[in-house]
Amino acid sequence: MARVKDDLAVVGKNWARLDGIDKVSGRSIFADDVRLPGMLFGKVVRSPYAHARILNIDTSAAEAVPGVKAVVTPEDAKDIWIGINQPLLPAEKVNHVGQEVVAIAAISEAAATEAAALVKVEYERLPALLDVEKALADNAAQLHAKAEHNIGWKQEDVHGDPDAVFAACEFVREDRYVTHPTHNCYAEYHVCVADFTKPGKLKMWTPTQTALLFQQSLAAGFKLPASDVRLLTLNSGGGFTGRTSTRPHHFLAAMLSRKSGRPVRLRASGDEEFIMCRAGGKVIYKLRSGADKDGRLKVIEADLLFDTGAYVESQMIVTLLTSKYIHALYPLEASRYRGRLVHTNNLPYYFHHGGGIAQFQFALGQHIDGLARDIGMDPVDFNLLNAVEEGHTTMEGAHYASCGLKECIEKTASLAGWKDKYGKLPKYKGIGIGIGAMASGAKGLFKHDTSAAFVKVTDDGKASLFVGLPDMGQSSHTAMAIICAEVLGITPNDINVISGDTDSDPLDVGAFTQRGTFNTGNATRNAALDARNQLAKTAAALLEADEATLVFRDHKVYPQGAEDQAIPFKKVVYQTLHSREGRFVMGRGFYNSPLEKGTMAYSFGAQIAEVTVDPGTGVVTVHKITAAHDVGRAINPRIVEGQIDGQIFSGMSQVLYEETILEDGQVMNPSRIDYKMPRAFEMPEVEHIIVETIDPNGPFGAKEVGEGPIVCTMQAIANAVTHAIGNQVTEMPLSPWRVIKAIK
Amino acid sequence: MSKQLITLTVNGDAYEVAVEPQQTLLEVLRDTLNMTGTKRGCTAGSCGVCTVNGERGQAILSCMALAVEWDGRSLTTVEGVADGNELHPVQQAFLEFGAVQCGFCTPGLIMSAKALLDVNTDPTDADINVAMAGAICRCTGHIKVKKAIREAARVLRAREVSDGAS
Repeated sequence: MARVKDDLAVVGKNWARLDGIDKVSGRSIFADDVRLPGMLFGKVVRSPYAHARILNIDTSAAEAVPGVKAVVTPEDAKDIWIGINQPLLPAEKVNHVGQEVVAIAAISEAAATEAAALVKVEYERLPALLDVEKALADNAAQLHAKAEHNIGWKQEDVHGDPDAVFAACEFVREDRYVTHPTHNCYAEYHVCVADFTKPGKLKMWTPTQTALLFQQSLAAGFKLPASDVRLLTLNSGGGFTGRTSTRPHHFLAAMLSRKSGRPVRLRASGDEEFIMCRAGGKVIYKLRSGADKDGRLKVIEADLLFDTGAYVESQMIVTLLTSKYIHALYPLEASRYRGRLVHTNNLPYYFHHGGGIAQFQFALGQHIDGLARDIGMDPVDFNLLNAVEEGHTTMEGAHYASCGLKECIEKTASLAGWKDKYGKLPKYKGIGIGIGAMASGAKGLFKHDTSAAFVKVTDDGKASLFVGLPDMGQSSHTAMAIICAEVLGITPNDINVISGDTDSDPLDVGAFTQRGTFNTGNATRNAALDARNQLAKTAAALLEADEATLVFRDHKVYPQGAEDQAIPFKKVVYQTLHSREGRFVMGRGFYNSPLEKGTMAYSFGAQIAEVTVDPGTGVVTVHKITAAHDVGRAINPRIVEGQIDGQIFSGMSQVLYEETILEDGQVMNPSRIDYKMPRAFEMPEVEHIIVETIDPNGPFGAKEVGEGPIVCTMQAIANAVTHAIGNQVTEMPLSPWRVIKAIK
Repeated sequence: MSKQLITLTVNGDAYEVAVEPQQTLLEVLRDTLNMTGTKRGCTAGSCGVCTVNGERGQAILSCMALAVEWDGRSLTTVEGVADGNELHPVQQAFLEFGAVQCGFCTPGLIMSAKALLDVNTDPTDADINVAMAGAICRCTGHIKVKKAIREAARVLRAREVSDGAS
């Protein structure tokens, strides 16, 4: 495929985010800033035990606290279920520490907190299952009636004949890796404001990656038509794969509001944030792969065991996703996958930033690095020999219409000086590579994968763009404005992006599975083209030219090659509206991939990490990350770099530091000091290489950049540590004690 | 507990407010004065989201400061950094250099950076690292934040030169 760089006026330039001035001036409103007349404040009474029978609940003392307006107990929530097997408030027994038991609303946070402390719950403690492997054992107690051996969900896939291919391989390697539980750690804590004062009509302000799925979930819980649940998304303080489904606090705030007849705000306190957040649980990865005598990778086998905690809501997605990424990077002859979600009495886990895929790549990337070294090959050479290329179709049917993986590997290796460093650095200094692929969307995981957009053109030559895609910080709204502006020949600053109200938002599943730029971007492009076609009729008449030859650019419209005849864009809009027909210009567009499932576009990347390990303390210092990413086309290059930076931070944070330490099911480090993330002084130098493959199906050739980078970072750093100390650290995070153990 | 009447000057305006002894500056700013630009984060002094500047420009964690201690004193919040519609160089640099993503920690980052630049317009990387050590930002990974602070420092130095010349 030729990589034609068309002459674009707006796409590909650096644009400051449209909401930036508000954000640097303190004018941005988040859910915690919402103040409604008569608003109450909620507080939740939670289980102190990992597993216990509830014998009695006495709320009389709590109800007597002055200012308490509503108390919600399991009696009130009998038929509200979250996901497959989670009661909103459990009537009989609690299955994890922090499980919601009673909720209270009062006129102040202080009164609600005081009342919550006065709720008396009598428990009979039960033995708790806290280890995923023990929960799977034959003699383990069964936590849910339908989950035999505590397996809440299982996925198995086989492609080709793995046993026969293994038998023919010259090199076979087996490894076991573990990743430990984590927390999403967004800046904005879990919070929602619910107004359920009008019978049958629920309004909710809350940060989210998908207002649509929240709307559907709340409607199902309260047995309302979805259109009677109105989600209002303001700014969202980070997503990181952690705001993709409703949590109990969303339902509890609504119930408290309904019962009290007043709006209610429910927000996590410091410790609670680590309980309400349901990120990744412990995962055990058993991997096996085989290559022929020339180092060609033939087969990969993966057996993944996920601690899914007390309940299953949408966590099965993580097995669906990881099963696909076995095939993503290398053309294989066979593969085998098994993923099991196992119930324990830990928190109900979902996924951390990277959706389970980045963490899986921590394991797979180290495993493949090990295989390359077993064969006696430089990992860069091994990856170049084996990497997928444009036109490849994976064994499970993903087709790569564009693919810059080899270019990413070559460019990072060259810029990082790989050949001069790999195998040649002094002891305790290391260099490592990580490569990755990422789908731009995941049709088939939800009811539909359609995104829609409207463009309203106003007679001052500006436009309003309506999208249902949330912006959690990734600058998706500005990206959509850029796409719209390119089509109409105006600038992003002429465009007002309207979003965040399910009553007026066009359909959009949301900002996750990296679908925004590709799906909503295509929808936006289609909507803008529709508006442009409406304007072209007027312009063609004014210019006495053929509609098909018209160019919309720099606030002007002119026939191709005749810029001297240009008329102002504003004049075309005015004439359209003020003609005899009075045509109001409103473009509409949508995008739905023609596939049954999956996506039309995949992004690719390679990162090289350079580290030093202190053999005395086990502390790893990352000096530099060189990152090359095939994003199709960078719609807004500086913002693309920012996405890469944030994911390098998060990948480094997860691989080196992040772990929720558990004791008897209780998080022992529930604070932003004890749960470590990198501070400014720990961040490495980052070099960006943006590879543009101009995808034939993307809007102006664009693919995702929302999770492609993070899948490379963890493995790159881990492989650099292996190079530095000579052994793999097989458990993540690579805490100093684990690194020291690996040195010895 | 009885309330105490204090006078607090915020962004140049004096407010008389009745506060409880345990109330923090953050609570008074957000809940009494309705200035929600300063965000509520961990409320335990560990994330830096709620940072404001004291009378000498120093960075203050407003979630850890008792309001009663601020009787008769003045402070600047993120709402008071711009000069009317003209952004402060640190705000302008954050905007232009892509140092803003979700925007929740941005007010705290801006106030931490401004506290540094108010006393040092030629900071080393180490100075920037120290000034920003109390701030957590998952979105940007601090990379573009540090670049923006260096750029703001350059603009401020250029201003000092032109002010000196005029």
